[in-house]
Amino acid sequence: MKTVLLGLALVIVAVSRTAQAQTNAQPLAVRAEPTDSATRLVLVAAPGWKINARVKPALELPSGAIVRFDAPQLTADSAYFAEPPTARILGRVATVRGMLKASVCAVGEQVCRVVTLKL
Amino acid sequence: MPRPSLLFTLSLVLAVAVAAVSQHAGGALAQTPLLGQTRIGVGPAPSWHNTSWLNTDQPVTLESLRGRVVLLNFWVFTCYNCTNTVPSLVDLDSKYRERGLTIIGIHTPEFPPYAGEHDKGNVARALEKYHIKYPNAQDNDSRTWDLYGIRFWPSFVLIDKKGRIRYEGAGEFHLGDATYQLWDGRIQELLSEQ
Repeated sequence: MKTVLLGLALVIVAVSRTAQAQTNAQPLAVRAEPTDSATRLVLVAAPGWKINARVKPALELPSGAIVRFDAPQLTADSAYFAEPPTARILGRVATVRGMLKASVCAVGEQVCRVVTLKL
Repeated sequence: MPRPSLLFTLSLVLAVAVAAVSQHAGGALAQTPLLGQTRIGVGPAPSWHNTSWLNTDQPVTLESLRGRVVLLNFWVFTCYNCTNTVPSLVDLDSKYRERGLTIIGIHTPEFPPYAGEHDKGNVARALEKYHIKYPNAQDNDSRTWDLYGIRFWPSFVLIDKKGRIRYEGAGEFHLGDATYQLWDGRIQELLSEQ
């Protein structure tokens, strides 16, 4: 009986943690692509999320500099990026540090919210 | 017949299970406000103290609106869902202003000042572009946003003639759609009250 109860408790903990992880899943990720003398940053939205193009995502670097993301392809209503917006920073880096801000909208929710990610 | 200690353990496990599931359900609901989702009968409306206003000669206070129905619209001109909803608000303003409705836009920026959302000229241009005639407060420090516990753009708070919050909700809606009809009905309901 004790084994059954222990198993049940473990299942509950696992389900709860999985659910929590899903709730906390980030809608955005930044990919760094080093080039010759710079780094191209690509802002990728998770499935089900759109990035607001009316207020361009910003990366606030530790130096205080602000880098804005942009992309030429927008949705037909010009409200969202139709491709991952990119930004360029000087120097080759494998990972980037700073504070990312982006306005995102979840498909079907009809609201906007700000996501702030510490990179 | 199970032993008392076993019953206690089973109850404990069940309680943990229920708590875990309900906590997750609450969190998920808070994370995903659906179109037209509302809270009803929330309590007294807190007073806002915004100092920068557009479409009005002087700051509009909650106290000065006692006896009128007030619809607060938390928005920002860079939010597509917000500007899509503006035609409905302009329509409600023209339909019910004379009957006692005051719509107030609370313009709360999403981004720091470098994005231009804090600029009064930009807000003024947006009001003109979207034909907004009702008063708008600049909420550049998000104080009123925080005061009302708002989390999403656009959000709505409907206050009755006695200064009580009666309905809250978030999400884009359009002229004549189901959510528009919902808000229209609520406004009529509060206007009909003494």
